[in-house]
Amino acid sequence: MKHFYFFIISLFSVCLLQAQDYKFGKVSEEEVLEKEHPEFKEANAAILFREHRVYYDIQRNSGLRLITEVHERIKIYNKEGFDWATKTISAYQNGTETEDIGSIKGYTYNMVDGKLVDEKLRKNGIFKEEASKYSLKTKFTMPAVSEGSVIEYTYTIRSPFVTSIDDVPLQFEIPVNRLEAQVKIPEFFGFRMHYNPKSPIVFPIDKKRESFTYNYTQKTRSGQRIVKTDYSQESIDYMLDVYGFKRDNIPPLKKEIYVDYLQNYAAYLRWELQYTKFPDSPIENYSRTWEGVAKSIYNDAGLKQEVNRTNFFDTDLDQLLAETKDRPGKLAKIFTYVKNKTTWNDFIGFQAENGIKTAYKYGKGNTGDINLLLVSMLRYAGFDANPVLVSTKAHGIPIYPTRNGFNYVVAAIEDQGEIILMDATDKNVAIGELPERAMNWQGRIIREDGSSDWVNLMPTVKSQNTTMLNMQFDEEMVLKGKSVRNINGLHAKKFRDNYVGLANEDYVQVLEKNKGNIVISDVAISNEKAIGENIKQSYNFELRDAMEVINEKIYFKPMVFAGLNENPFKGEERSYPIFFDFPSSDSKTINLLIPEGYEVESLPESAIVNLKNGEGVFKFVVSLNGRFLRIESSLDMNNMVYTSLDYEGLKNFYGEMVNKHSEAIVLSKS
Amino acid sequence: MRKILLALFLFFQIGTSPIFSQDYAAFSIDPNLLSNANAVLRNQSVEISILALDKMRVKTKRVVTVLNEHGEQHVQAYDFYDENSKIKSQEAIVYNSMGEEIEKIKEREFDDRSLVGSNTLYSDNRLSYLNYTIKDYPITIAYESEVETNSTIFIQPWKPLGNYNLSVEQSSYKLVNPKAIPFRFEERNLEDLALEKNNTTSGLYYKAENISAVENEVLSPDLSTYTPQVLVALNEFALVGVEGKAANWKELGKWQYDFLLKEKTELPQETILKLNELTENAKSDREKAEIVYNYVQENTRYISVQLGIGGWEPMLAKDVDALGYGDCKALTNYTKALLESQNIPSYYTVVYGGDKTNIDPEFASMQGNHVILNLPLAEEDVWLECASQSNPFNYLGDFTDDRKVLKITPEGGEIISTPNYATALNLRESNVEIQLDESGGFSARITRKNSGIPYGNIYGIKNQKKDHQKIYYRENWGHLKELEFSKIAFENNRDSIVFTEKLEVKGTKLASKAGNRLLLPVNFLQAKTFSLPRNESRKLPLVIERGETYKDYFQFKLPAGYKIESIPEPVTIENEFGKLILKTSIAGIDETELKVERLLVLNEGNWENSAYIAYREFMNQIKSYTNQKAVLVSN
Repeated sequence: MKHFYFFIISLFSVCLLQAQDYKFGKVSEEEVLEKEHPEFKEANAAILFREHRVYYDIQRNSGLRLITEVHERIKIYNKEGFDWATKTISAYQNGTETEDIGSIKGYTYNMVDGKLVDEKLRKNGIFKEEASKYSLKTKFTMPAVSEGSVIEYTYTIRSPFVTSIDDVPLQFEIPVNRLEAQVKIPEFFGFRMHYNPKSPIVFPIDKKRESFTYNYTQKTRSGQRIVKTDYSQESIDYMLDVYGFKRDNIPPLKKEIYVDYLQNYAAYLRWELQYTKFPDSPIENYSRTWEGVAKSIYNDAGLKQEVNRTNFFDTDLDQLLAETKDRPGKLAKIFTYVKNKTTWNDFIGFQAENGIKTAYKYGKGNTGDINLLLVSMLRYAGFDANPVLVSTKAHGIPIYPTRNGFNYVVAAIEDQGEIILMDATDKNVAIGELPERAMNWQGRIIREDGSSDWVNLMPTVKSQNTTMLNMQFDEEMVLKGKSVRNINGLHAKKFRDNYVGLANEDYVQVLEKNKGNIVISDVAISNEKAIGENIKQSYNFELRDAMEVINEKIYFKPMVFAGLNENPFKGEERSYPIFFDFPSSDSKTINLLIPEGYEVESLPESAIVNLKNGEGVFKFVVSLNGRFLRIESSLDMNNMVYTSLDYEGLKNFYGEMVNKHSEAIVLSKS
Repeated sequence: MRKILLALFLFFQIGTSPIFSQDYAAFSIDPNLLSNANAVLRNQSVEISILALDKMRVKTKRVVTVLNEHGEQHVQAYDFYDENSKIKSQEAIVYNSMGEEIEKIKEREFDDRSLVGSNTLYSDNRLSYLNYTIKDYPITIAYESEVETNSTIFIQPWKPLGNYNLSVEQSSYKLVNPKAIPFRFEERNLEDLALEKNNTTSGLYYKAENISAVENEVLSPDLSTYTPQVLVALNEFALVGVEGKAANWKELGKWQYDFLLKEKTELPQETILKLNELTENAKSDREKAEIVYNYVQENTRYISVQLGIGGWEPMLAKDVDALGYGDCKALTNYTKALLESQNIPSYYTVVYGGDKTNIDPEFASMQGNHVILNLPLAEEDVWLECASQSNPFNYLGDFTDDRKVLKITPEGGEIISTPNYATALNLRESNVEIQLDESGGFSARITRKNSGIPYGNIYGIKNQKKDHQKIYYRENWGHLKELEFSKIAFENNRDSIVFTEKLEVKGTKLASKAGNRLLLPVNFLQAKTFSLPRNESRKLPLVIERGETYKDYFQFKLPAGYKIESIPEPVTIENEFGKLILKTSIAGIDETELKVERLLVLNEGNWENSAYIAYREFMNQIKSYTNQKAVLVSN
């Protein structure tokens, strides 16, 4: 009998769920009364329903338009969810044509004295703003929003840019109870659909074909003297590709503190135009291979022309290289020359914005100007130099072959099968290094004949960071010592980015920060401006309060300020990958002279910790030889990218290092 | 005769100075101006012409030599504009280090953008700015512009030294007032300047030369409190076409009341009825006011919309009532209207929100960037932050505390002060019971109460997601390793304004092992200190804006089989900056417990530059004494 009741109850609740009415305006009391999301209790708001419809509309006057209709119903659970009551819709304009945002209609629903009351979004809550030459924004905020409100709105975007369909979002930072999306594309357009490869969620899509008839009135005039106008009903039959998507209960995109481009991980549908085939016109093909994309950029975007432009710098370059015969010498001279001669204007792009000649003359330009100038000069000097197309980190990894997949260019030379990359827009990178923005997976090298290949953009060489501290206690138990540090590669670049040009007294402040009661003096840095060379930095220090004397025993952490005090991985778990800047080898050596009259009572133990088959290795080696204590601590990180599954391993790995670095030695009176 | 000559001479100087000052070579800068400077203001001349009550023209010339990349921010080749102020012309000329012209940038090559921030729904403010890539340093950029506006209520002051690390070769300021509209001006900190001036009823003229750059120092006073400036205001003016007259705060407040605030408090009858019902059983005005404040917080939200008389006029109360949102002006006026319906008078009060900045009591002009509400109740003045949906009643926090503000009444303006949160009231009080284990790990029950300023800085954590709360504590208590949480709970008492954190945590390696001993840092939670750089030649005074009091009580239980070998000596330090009292004692029947009582007081105050070294020493003492350890030894 019990079972029977249960059955009835569950059947009943299923009915309730299905009875949800998503028609605009049919907000129910239950929705407004709901106190928290049934599944995601921490959600500040939830999308109860979202409908996203994309279709084409043909009108006699304006021609073809791409229409996007959005209908959203959002539940706001608490004050933290109020942001969802303000909506910004962005539209594109290009100077001649503009996307039009219209038909904004919205209501807020509240329970007032036990009754469901709605409040209309009026004109005074809708604002338009021209954010820039290319971007228009329409913003609105819903009236009478309080905790528990349900808001509902619709809007329509009419776009003249019919060959580009915006991404259809399938996931948000709040849960979605019901999402329906539909994209109808007439056969004149061949689009291919892509999922976001970075999103772990892949939802199935229904795809079908429908036929459609478009009726229109044709006006014909005939006759010479007596003009006669005929109106005839015409029609075209064509096919529609219909992509449909309906889904309940989409989990929210998890917001984590240490993730930059969160939207890069959201589920969405992206649309790639492959061809257009209009009635009475030949098929125009947009579909590409990477080879084709590279070739078309090289030929049509002016890269070929730019890299082969010479003569304006010939004399200067001849003079520059007159004394230099060896190839590495020439390469270094040209690279340094371009870096000194030009300054990057902070704009990126693979095309030369001003042209390399202008960039050369005025000494500034975008990434295209500067790196294509470098390629051109290298070619002139006899190097096998070529441009490499890149997508920057912020731009993401391209999903399908398109010119928009790239947004940056660097230079490369090929020498006996080895490819050496260069980027002259960053003053502090050396030959073979790239700035962080360009270190993104793979780039496409384009050779003179138009052929192209993938090249690795990620650094493969480990950058070194070596510190040695030699120290001893004086009579007053002040720890006195000298620190000598050697850094190369991208560690050295980082150092130059941060500290070159800093006045000496400011740099001392930087060094003294977070080192306790310390006085640092005699700071010496060599090679700080010799890009590509190792930087050597040394200073003397006096550290007070470094040790404690308790009951005639000295307790002391030998890593002093060189240790890692805190685990950088603070989150419980992680849903996204973890990126390190570059492969690195960090080593710290401590040499301590045990004070006269004391002997070692206990020492930390040596240890070796491995991370995931040797992708990371931490070594901590303690040795005592007479009065000389030596601790060598090294951290080798060979890999740059870890998946979310590696998170716990990484966290424990760093945890071990923190433990070792905080262990104390005990000295007792001998 | 001498007077006439002098006047002629001055006239000549003014008229011709631009011709003589064209030498922009970087090497011609006086070496004294290069120390601490990232840029040098070679020549700034501002000429403000009051063409009519509602027409003002500002001609600006600003020539800046940028010495390094940090100096780029001082170029400031831009102007703001909106519907009521128009840029008539803009131009920039770039000179190389030799002072030779290398580029000229015309008005149409300036970039334009909207100034609507991501938190603002609407504002018509825009910016037209020079976007120029500097190739080599030093470089000199000369910017010239002309802006016309219909608002004469804001007259740009003369602040020759407006930034840190910027020195000034020459700066001049001219007010031209051909219609002799009565005006006021006030000089500040001009004593040490090599100054030229010529003031008459129809204008002002100031010129200063060779002012050295100031280096910013930690915990120092605001730059504008000790650098030269001349403040100017018209006694008859216009704000976006609305004309007014005011020569002091009383009159300016009156004008603001009459033209910006009056008759905006009408409410729909049903709202009043609803409120009447809510306040029916309230026994006092204070209780009623609390109900009203609560009603506002429950029924509105903050949305920034800069509309109406240049963004100075609040939305009508009845509009806020219908829409349920508004900016600080709108929400304050709405609260005022609701209180009015309950016969409780309150006053719209203009303030500078953020760092402690006063509305200048000595000089009446349009000032402030935020609005709060003042209620002079019988027992005390109550202050309401109406733009917040979560602040407790009568809690301002560090956004608007302890500063001079302009209270606007129908009779006029009045400068009063917002309350100060005294050192003893800014209290954080913790009580922690800790059970240690043999490996040095621990489990702990932490209760921490926050009141005063600390209340405002912590209470938002209750609305964070659990994951983020954990990360917050792991970051703040970085010395506690591998923290795991079995309980995170909060009590937000909005009546007494106390926020209590209740946590149960576990962690490893609190005590470090050394042979058969455990080395236990007895300060389970670290003492608050400022991290201060060593600076033997401190130039600026030391300012601690707010005092703080920390009371902590840590009770440790030893792992089984351990006894206490030694405990730190008690510590008492007391001086003008504050005090630290730290006492560790052995407790429990078998002497297996440690009690640690800690009191840390950091006073508020202003001290001379020379106090910096002693203050830093005080911080180091706190760090060092609160880093002491007890030694536990296994039997």
